[in-house]
Order: sequence, then structure tokens, then C-alpha cells
Amino acid sequence: MNALIAVILGIVTVYLTYTRYARRIDRDVIKSDPKRATPATLYMDGVDFMPTNRNILFGYHFKSIAAAGPIVGAIVAATLWGWLPAMLWLIGGVAFMGWVSDYSAIVLSVRNEGHSLSAVAHRLISPRTRTILFLFIFFYLLLVAGAFVGIMAQVMESQPRTHLGMILLVVMGLLLGQMLYRWRIGLIPATLLTVGVTLAAIMAGGASEGIFKGLNDAFNGLTGGAPIVTYFDPTLANFKGADAKIMPSLLFWAVAISLFCYAGSVLPIWRMAQPVVYVGFWITALAMLLGLGGAALGTIIKPELAQFQIPMFKGWNPQMGPAGVMPLWPMLFVTIACGAISGWHALFGSVGTARQIENEADMLPVGAGAMLAEFLLGLLALLAISVGSKGPPVAAFANGLGGFISVWGFPLQYAVSLAFAAFIVIVLVVTQLLFRVMRVTLTEWLGEIIPPLRNQHFSSFLSIALAILLVMTGTWIYLWQLFGAANQLMAALSLLLVTIWLVSVGKNWLYAGLPMILMYLTTVASVLVTAYNLYFNVYLPNLEAGRTLPAVGSGLMVLMALLLVFASLFIGIDGCRAFFKYLGKPASAARPAVAKG
Amino acid sequence: MIAPRRWQAVKDFFYGMTGYVFVRHAQEMKHEAEAIFLLVTLGDLAGVPIMPPIYSLRLLPHVAPEIVKWKRQLARRKDFWEKEEYDLHGI
Repeated sequence: MNALIAVILGIVTVYLTYTRYARRIDRDVIKSDPKRATPATLYMDGVDFMPTNRNILFGYHFKSIAAAGPIVGAIVAATLWGWLPAMLWLIGGVAFMGWVSDYSAIVLSVRNEGHSLSAVAHRLISPRTRTILFLFIFFYLLLVAGAFVGIMAQVMESQPRTHLGMILLVVMGLLLGQMLYRWRIGLIPATLLTVGVTLAAIMAGGASEGIFKGLNDAFNGLTGGAPIVTYFDPTLANFKGADAKIMPSLLFWAVAISLFCYAGSVLPIWRMAQPVVYVGFWITALAMLLGLGGAALGTIIKPELAQFQIPMFKGWNPQMGPAGVMPLWPMLFVTIACGAISGWHALFGSVGTARQIENEADMLPVGAGAMLAEFLLGLLALLAISVGSKGPPVAAFANGLGGFISVWGFPLQYAVSLAFAAFIVIVLVVTQLLFRVMRVTLTEWLGEIIPPLRNQHFSSFLSIALAILLVMTGTWIYLWQLFGAANQLMAALSLLLVTIWLVSVGKNWLYAGLPMILMYLTTVASVLVTAYNLYFNVYLPNLEAGRTLPAVGSGLMVLMALLLVFASLFIGIDGCRAFFKYLGKPASAARPAVAKG
Repeated sequence: MIAPRRWQAVKDFFYGMTGYVFVRHAQEMKHEAEAIFLLVTLGDLAGVPIMPPIYSLRLLPHVAPEIVKWKRQLARRKDFWEKEEYDLHGI
């Protein structure tokens, strides 16, 4: 197998899915009507409801859904089960479920006056669904924040060459916000300056490596080279299990990342979060575009760079041993979430994108098109890890992507630096936004009962402290899989909502109902498997060894897993009731069609 | 040679990924400032009892096109995950 074949396979998947399946559903089931007025045109307010050109909206939606998820998931899955299962799930997932979830959430909102998923759930299923969604979203955010802070701290501790670029990214982000909103400098010159300086700092990372290495050593010297926390991690040493050590330098980078996230959470969004995301976007987009092109060209120019190096298939449950069970079903299907199917896309699409749809004919290219484009990003990450066999997963990804980029004539060392930076940047910018969302969720959810949570500094601090606790005591792969499961459960719930709506308006519900059933069962099963692994393979060994902190962290993760299962069961039961209620007597369409002049 | 329509579509796509988010945010900031201004000057139109100053009448012709949008915004209660903070810009 080589990269060119995989790229062609990906493009064929996108073409066939869009033209042979998605268009048919749009035409025959949803019956999108360009003459029907959309909420954006009916309720235009110039802010939330704003009719927008489909191409602009496609770019906006794609950028809003495509980030770290498809990259990290593909890297972990390829490492655990080999490249073939990961690729098959990416292709099958996006073709039969991913686009369905994204597109249908937009349709649901557009056909229900631009209401969010929670508002539609309140009306179609039950009032308590909204409350359960709070619980779901908070733990989902906590898990993904823990997973992202953990992987970033590990990469930054082990890759001192990336530090200068990351520091300059933050500085340039702050400068960009000031230039755009205060000094009123145009976007193009501001972009050229800030992105240019950040890129230069990334490339010069090798020169500053020694300084940051010395800094790490100085921190580790504070404890005489002894770790702060030691815990048993069954996923280490090729899944034979070993003691994981949290060194002071890792804690330092976790705290530094958290401080950055804290600033992103409490400062006005234009001051830091938004411009940092923008600068980061260019770095990642540049690396990905060069990488995708290089993957295709590499087969011809440098065939040795494009050959797959990792095993095709490692087995149905290749990690038997101290790590317990890691069966391909259901665990693969939650390890790769975004890229195949993602619940967050549905949540975002229903409130962000749906209210800007100018014309019902735009729902398919924007909703399904952006998801299919994100699949290509996931595929690229899979290719990069598959060809870059050296080192741990993230290093292998960076080596692979760096190899693709070097096809264009860049020295390999700089290309790998850019690839490392692209990975860290995309994770870093998303993490700061995560803490912002966590702060708002905490305030809305518990602010009435616990008044201090209404204080943005306290709620941000609490969110960050909980995430650091998970980083310090959890087991990263399990943490990632729990996040993936929460994400996929949200996708299943959005598909459940779409199914109920389709039944309620007398349409064929199978295209959304079948993926919903599959994802619902798969994700509930995966959460139970992860809870089992955490309890027997992490919690008990650490408890028996008298390691309190890791036992508390893994115990907390088990508790979260069980809460997610109970929450999804409640929504599932309520959903079933609503489904059968509407199956007998479909209600009339939510809103009559309004003809445009 | 790329056809002008295709080229425009590519430009729009990149604009959607890059500058559009800043334009939207600038619109939101402008809207917030305008909403406060309208509330102070013409609050009685939305049921807020204020003393109508003479300047309100002089401003009325200039702000009239915005009044419908403004009242619609005031009437719509946002769900909490519709807030800007929930725009995760990808995950």
C-alpha cells in the first residue's frame, strides 16, 4: 500500500458518497426546496440569522469542525489496530454516518425555525433531555480537555524544538487581535506579519532547542530527577504495562498550557482566543495542504517516503495483557471520532451554520461537503502515521507528515518541525476554546446552586484544575477513548433526534435511524469496556500499591463513564417513547413552506 | 485557466475559513453597541419606560431600518449553547 492509492481511495469515497448517496437522500427524503424560505431569510437580524453565500459558509463550517480530533484519533487507532481497520472505519463511517449526522442536524434546525438541538429535543422528546445534555456536555469537555492537555504536555516536554514557535504563536495572536480591532490594520498585512513571524519561529526551533532542554533539566533537578507522581499504566511498554512517571518538567508544561488556556478563557474573545485560532489555522492549513499534495506526489518523486511502514492489521484484540480488553469493536469506533462521525459537529451545525443557510439547496454542500472534507484531513493523518514508522505515535505522525512536506523540496528537518508545530498548534488552539466553553457550561449548569461558579475566574480555574487532575492521574489512551465515546454518543443522540423528527413529519427515517442504532450500541458498549479497563487495570493496581492520586483520578474517570452511560440510557428511553408515539401518528410538518417572491 | 465563477468560489471558500469570522465578530460588536444606543434613545418602543428626549425624534429617521431587527433580537431569548463561546472552531 502506498499514499497515492490511499489518496485516490479517499477522493473516490468523497465523490461516490456525495453524488450517489447524499444527493439522493437530499432529493428523495428531505426534498430540499430552493424556494422554501430559510430561518436566515425569515428572521434575518444581521448577527445570528444572516443569509450567507454557500461557498463562504462551506469554508466557515469546515474550519469550525476540522481540527485536532481527526488527527489524534487516526494516530491512536492506527497504532492500536493497524492502518487497515482505521482506514475502513474512516471510509465507512463518513460514507454512511458522518455526513448524515452533520447534514441532518442542519436540516433539522433549518426546518424547525433555526432552533438548536436542545430546543428541538425539549419539544420532541422530553424537557429533561436538555438537563441531561448539560451533564453530557460538561463531562465531554472535561474529558477532551484532559486528553488534549495531556498529549500537549507530553509532546512539549519531549520536543523542546517546538517551544519557541508556540510562544511566538501566542504573542503573534495577541498582536493580531490588537492590529485588527484596535489599530484597524487590514487583515492581509496583519496576517502576513503574524503568520510569517510564527512560521519563522517554528523553523528556528532547532536553534533554541538547547535552551528549553536546559529548562526542562532545571525543573527535573528540583526533585533530584525523581518523579512527582508515579502510577501504573497498562497501556505503556507496548501494552505490557509499566509505571508512568510524571516529571516536574511535564507538570511545568501542563501548567504553562493551562495558564495560556486560562487567559484564552477569561479575556475577551477578540483579544486572544479568536486571533490565536486564526494564526494557528494558517500554520496547520499550510502543513496539511503541503502534506496532502506531497502524499500524492511522493509516490512518483520519492516512492520510499510514501510506502506504508506500520502493520496493516494487528488483530481483533491485539493488546491482551495488563491492558485488559481493547477489542476492535467497539473501541475502534470511538478512538476515531471526528473524521468518521462526530457529535460536536451536529451541535455546532444546528446553532452556528443552520442560521446562515440562505437556500435549502445549500444544506447538502455545506453540511455533507464539510464533513467529507474533514474526512480527507483524517485520512491524511492516517497516511502520515502509516508512512512514518519512527518513534512514538505523535513523533511518527510528524515524521510521516514532514516526509510528505519535504517532497516539495524543503529540508527534512524543517519539514518535520513544521509538522510537529502543526500538530501542537491545532491541539493548543482548540484546548483554550474548550476551557472557555467549560467555564460557560459550569456557570449555566450550576451557577444558580453554587454562586461562586458565576465568577469567570473561579469557574475557569476549577475547569483547569479538574483537567490537570485527569492528566496527572489518568491513563491517556483510556481518557481519549472516553472522550471519543462521549462525542459519538452525542452524535447518536443527534441522529436519534433527527430520526424522531423524520418520523414526526412522516418521512423515511432509516437513513438516520440505522446509523443511530449502531452508534448508540457501539458507544455505550465502549464506555462500559473503558470503565472495566480503568477499574480493573488502573484503579485497583494503583489502590493496592497505595498510590492515592492515581487511584482518585482513575476512579473519577470510572464515575464519569458510568454517568455517561446512565445519561444516554435516560435519553434513549425517552427517545424510544417519542419515536413510537410519532410512528403511530405523524404530526404535521413543523412549519409550512413559505414561497419566496 | 480557471473560470471566473470557479475562482470566485475558491476565494469565497478561503474567505469563509479566514476573514469571515472576524467580520461576523465585528458585526456582533457593532450590533451590541447599537442595541444599547437604541435602548437608551428609543427604549419606549420596546416597552422600556424612558423619557423620550427630543433627540430621539431627530434620530428616528436614521435608526428606523434597524428597529425591526433590534426588537426581534430583544424578544429572542438565546439558549446558552448559542453563545459565541460555544463556537469551538473545530474539534
